[in-house]
This record gives sequence, C-alpha cells and structure tokens, in this order.
Amino acid sequence: MLRFEKRDKTPVRLRVLVPICSVLLGLFVGSVVMLFARVNPLRVYEAVVKGAFGSAYTFSETLVIAVPLILISAGLCLVYRMKFFNIGAKGQYIMGAICGSYLALFGPATMPRPLLLTLMMVLGTVGGALWAIIPALLKAYWNVNEVIATLLLNYIASYILWYLMYGTWRDQRSHGFPLSKSFALNAQLPRILPAPSRLHIGLFFGLAAAGIVWIIIRKTRFGYEGRVLGENERAARYAGINVFKTIIIAAAISGGLAGLAGIAHTSAVLRILQLEINSDYGYTAIIAAWLAGLDPLVAVGVSVLLAALEAGGYQIQIVMRVPFGIVGVIESAILFCLLAGEIVTHYRISLTRRLTA
Amino acid sequence: MNPTFGSILIKVFAGAVESGTILLLPTLGEVLTERSGVLNLGLEGLMLIGAFFGFLGAMKTGNPYVGLLLGMAAAAAAAAIHAFICVTLRGNQTVTGLALSIFGAGLTSFYGDSWVSQRLTTAIKPMAVPVLSRIPILGPIFFSQDLIVYAAYVLVAVFWFLLFKTKIGVNLRAVGENAKAADAMGVNVVGTRYFWTILGGALAGAGGAYITCCIHPYWLNGITSGKGWIAVALVVFAMWNPFNALVGGFLFGSIEALQLQLQAAGTYINSALLSMLPYITTFVVIIVATVIVRVRHVGTPKELGIPYAREEK
Repeated sequence: MLRFEKRDKTPVRLRVLVPICSVLLGLFVGSVVMLFARVNPLRVYEAVVKGAFGSAYTFSETLVIAVPLILISAGLCLVYRMKFFNIGAKGQYIMGAICGSYLALFGPATMPRPLLLTLMMVLGTVGGALWAIIPALLKAYWNVNEVIATLLLNYIASYILWYLMYGTWRDQRSHGFPLSKSFALNAQLPRILPAPSRLHIGLFFGLAAAGIVWIIIRKTRFGYEGRVLGENERAARYAGINVFKTIIIAAAISGGLAGLAGIAHTSAVLRILQLEINSDYGYTAIIAAWLAGLDPLVAVGVSVLLAALEAGGYQIQIVMRVPFGIVGVIESAILFCLLAGEIVTHYRISLTRRLTA
Repeated sequence: MNPTFGSILIKVFAGAVESGTILLLPTLGEVLTERSGVLNLGLEGLMLIGAFFGFLGAMKTGNPYVGLLLGMAAAAAAAAIHAFICVTLRGNQTVTGLALSIFGAGLTSFYGDSWVSQRLTTAIKPMAVPVLSRIPILGPIFFSQDLIVYAAYVLVAVFWFLLFKTKIGVNLRAVGENAKAADAMGVNVVGTRYFWTILGGALAGAGGAYITCCIHPYWLNGITSGKGWIAVALVVFAMWNPFNALVGGFLFGSIEALQLQLQAAGTYINSALLSMLPYITTFVVIIVATVIVRVRHVGTPKELGIPYAREEK
C-alpha cells in the first residue's frame, strides 16, 4: 500500500527533474498525436529547432516572442503564489495595447519621441492594471471566482478591440480592412538589432521586470505576506495581513506587466493596431510561469524555450503545412505532466505493508 | 397581436431553446461534477473535443447520432485525464482545467485543420412531438425540436430526482460536502469523483457535438467560441441545481438568439457590441449570483476543489 507524507520542502533534485521530464513527455505526447495524422514528428521537431534557433535572425524572432512571455509570466509568478488565478493576461494585454495605441494614433504628433513612448508605455501598463483590478476587487470583496471573471474579461477585451478596429480607429485608407493607420516613427518603440530583426528594447523591460518581481517575492515584506497568504489565507488574516490590499496590488502588477507587453509588442513589432495582435501569449505565459515553478528568473529561460516552440510552430505551419494546433497540444501535455508531477514534489511516497484489519 | 411579429417571436424563442441546449448540457454535467467536489474548468476544451469528434464521427458514418456518441466518448476520455490528475494525483484543479481547455483547442485545431468549412449532409433533424407540438405558442417553441433537446429536458428531471431524492444523490452530495465523513460512512469517494467527472465530460462533449451535428453542421476551429466558459459561470448561476441549470441555459440561449436575430435584421447596434453581449451578461450574472450564494449560503459544495486523501493527517 502506498503511503503519502506531506513534504515540508521539495528537494532541488525533484524541482529540476519534474519539469524536465514534463517537457520530454510533452514532446512525446505531441509525437503520438502527429503520428496519428501521419506526420513524421522527428522531421517536425527538426524543423521547429531550425525555425527557432537556425540562424541569428530566427533566434532574434524567437526572442521577439519571448519578450511578452517574460513580462507576463513575471507578473503571473507573483499572483499565482497568492493563489489568485489570473487567467486574464490575454485581455490585459489587449487593453494595454489599446490604451497605449490611443496616444500613438490620436496623441499630439509633435511630442518628442522619448516622452511619447514613455507615456504610451505608462498608459498601456495602467490599462492592463485596471483590467486586472476589476476581477481582483470582485474577488476581494465578494469572492467572485477570478478564473471565470478574468476569462470573460478576455472575451470582452477582444470585442472592444474588434469594435474599435471596425469603427472609429480604422484607417480611412485601409480599404475596409480592420487596420489602424501605421504608427508614426515617434510612436515606434526602438528595435535593437539591424533589420530584418524585430527584437526591441522591450527585452530589457522584461529582464528588469523579472528581476524586480524576484526581489519583491524574496526580499520584501509584501512578497513575504503574499507567500503566507498563498499557503494559508486564514493564517494570513490572523497574522494581520491585509488580504484585500495584497491581492489587489499583486493583480495590478500582473495586469500592468501584461498591458506593458501588449503595448510594447504592438508599438515595436507590429507598428499598427489590428485585430490580431498575438494576444494568445497571455495563455502561453501561464504555462511558462507554471513550468518555472513560479520563479520569475527561471521563467525568463522557460519563456525563451516556449517562444522557440511557438516560433518553430509558425515555421512548420508555413513550410510543412503542419497545423499550429500541435503547439497547444504539446504545451498542454507539458502542463498536465507538471501537475501530475506535483504528487512527488508535494508528497513523500513510500511503500508500506498493508495492515490486515 | 400582429401575426408576423408573433411568428418571428416564436422563431426567436425556438432558437433560444436550441442555443440554450448547447449551454444546458455542459452546465448540467458540471453541476454534478462540482457536487462531487471536483472543479472542472476544462469545459471549453471538452466541448471542442465533443464538437470535433462528433463532426468526424457523423462525417465518417453518415449518422449524426453515432457522431454525437463518439463526441461524448472522446470528451469523457479527456475528462478522465482531469479526474486522474485531480483525484488520484491531487493536482491543482484550476490549472488542470485550464490545461484541458488548451489541450482541447490545440488537439481539435490540429486534427480539424483539413476539415475546416466542410459541411455535414446528414445533420440531426427536428422531430415534432405528437399532440404536444400542437399546443399554441409552447408547442412550436419547446416541442418541435430535435431528440437532443428532448433528451436534455429528461436529463434535467432525472438528475434533479437523482440528486435530491435518491441514495445515490445523498452520497454524491456527501462526497462534495465532507469527503472524510462520506468515506467513514462507506461511500467510495474516489470512485464517486471519477464517475461524475467523466459523466460531466460526456455531457460537455454532447453540448459540443450538438453544435456540429445539428445546429451548425460544419467544422471551424474554436467553434464553441467561449460557450464552455459561459457554462462554467452558469453553474454558479444555477446554484448547483439541475433545474436552475435549465432556466439559466434557456435564459442565456435567449440572449444568444436575440443577438443573432438583431445582427441578421441589420440593426443600428454595432455587431461587435452585440457579439459582446453574452459575455457581458455572463460577467454581470456571475457577480450577482456569487453575492446571492454568499448571502443565502446555498449551493456551493463545501469541499469543491479540495482533493481528498484518507491517509493524510
């Protein structure tokens, strides 16, 4: 008979082993799914690696995808530690892109570039933060399930973008296509490598965010209180921690980083507002945060790996006509394995002889 | 009453019953799953799996009912993954449900890619109920539908009776309220949670397959467009009661039908705002329902989302 004993601390060996095994198993599940569709998984994975790391240019494109993932997953590491399951990074990303773009499209054209860009980034961050504060307030005051609330807000944000793109924000000269006018040079976040690379200074925002969130979690009173809150809400209340305030601030940080990711990607990479602004990074980042064990620094590395999978995924879709859905299958399989692996990271399992009653 | 206006209204409400059934089936399943203490947020993924495999089965066999069963079986199998991770391995139920949603979307868009926009020639057809369908107004709205709608009516009654009037229901609720006490009473906690999670998955699959085998008999990636999430919210609205799930399903079905009718009629109201309507309404409803549940202390299974382990101290 199996005996389960709760562990006080997870050994480092397991904390490394479980995620690695999960990734391998995830790739294996992806292979099986591909074999059913008579696709050769080895050729696909080879193409994914080439599409992600094959040249300096493709690697820089991988990093372009990694930037929003790093920003969003840093914030998610913080809120998930408090057991506030913000699934709404997608919506927060969209609201960030919308708010920041407002200045780019309708702001004073003569504003100096550094000032305009700073204001855009701030506005995007605020937009994302506000979109996350709504469900946090609802959770704190009325205990409304944040998973459902943030998810519904994703759909609502998508339709707000849709409304704007088919409405007043559409460029008169776009021949009816739902595109805004192109951002003026002043409103374009600088890219850091020579063309055709689209890697931009958002990368530094991401690295800074990951570092700051790591410090918040490890070195500040707020981070400590958040961890207590995540482990035991009742204990946190007894200890005099202001649970409402903690959740709302953490949600605002998480939403703000998602909003910043949205406006940075739109302004630096797309340079136009449109219906497709890659907001699904909001879902991928959830996997990144979880795979990183909710450590924002580890999440940087994991984000690059998942970005490679996504970048490779776009490539195989174009070159080999393998549908992009396979990326979702692999990502979710990795997540399933990680969650299943919690049984060994959380419990010490030993075999005991069954007692005869 | 103006006859043409009346007939339009009847058409809208008949459409509401159809759209409502899409939501009712997964909601009903999730009511039972959550009553057993398991939170399954993967309904959207399960509905997509049901929708795609239902469509595939109907395409390959030419029989939409076989398709529906296949869709249900596929979604039930996927729900078994959820049960295994959440019940046996005590994994985080929120994140596992989310993974299930991503899995469903990825799997169906991978396999579904070559089927996009293909149409089913043999969709499920309406079958008027003799006598009942001739009742004025109610007849054409409720009893000129298809077999799946009638099955949903029956299921609501059956599950309501099962949940509140039988020993099975008492045990099921006990497992969700206090697993330890239920275990002490000799109820098989693990078995109960597995059974109702898998059954809930099958019903979510039925909701998805009902879309592709009947209402919109073609395949599109992401054809459920968030209905699984609306169903998760409806469970709170229903306060974990099958009969309320019926009310909620048809209420939201009406919003959907109204929205479609307004779009078709080409009103002044912007189509993006109309499409947003079901999500906004759900958002408001989940807030109101949560507050009511809190004030009146009804419904929520006390150990929802909490894994159970006998050996643990």
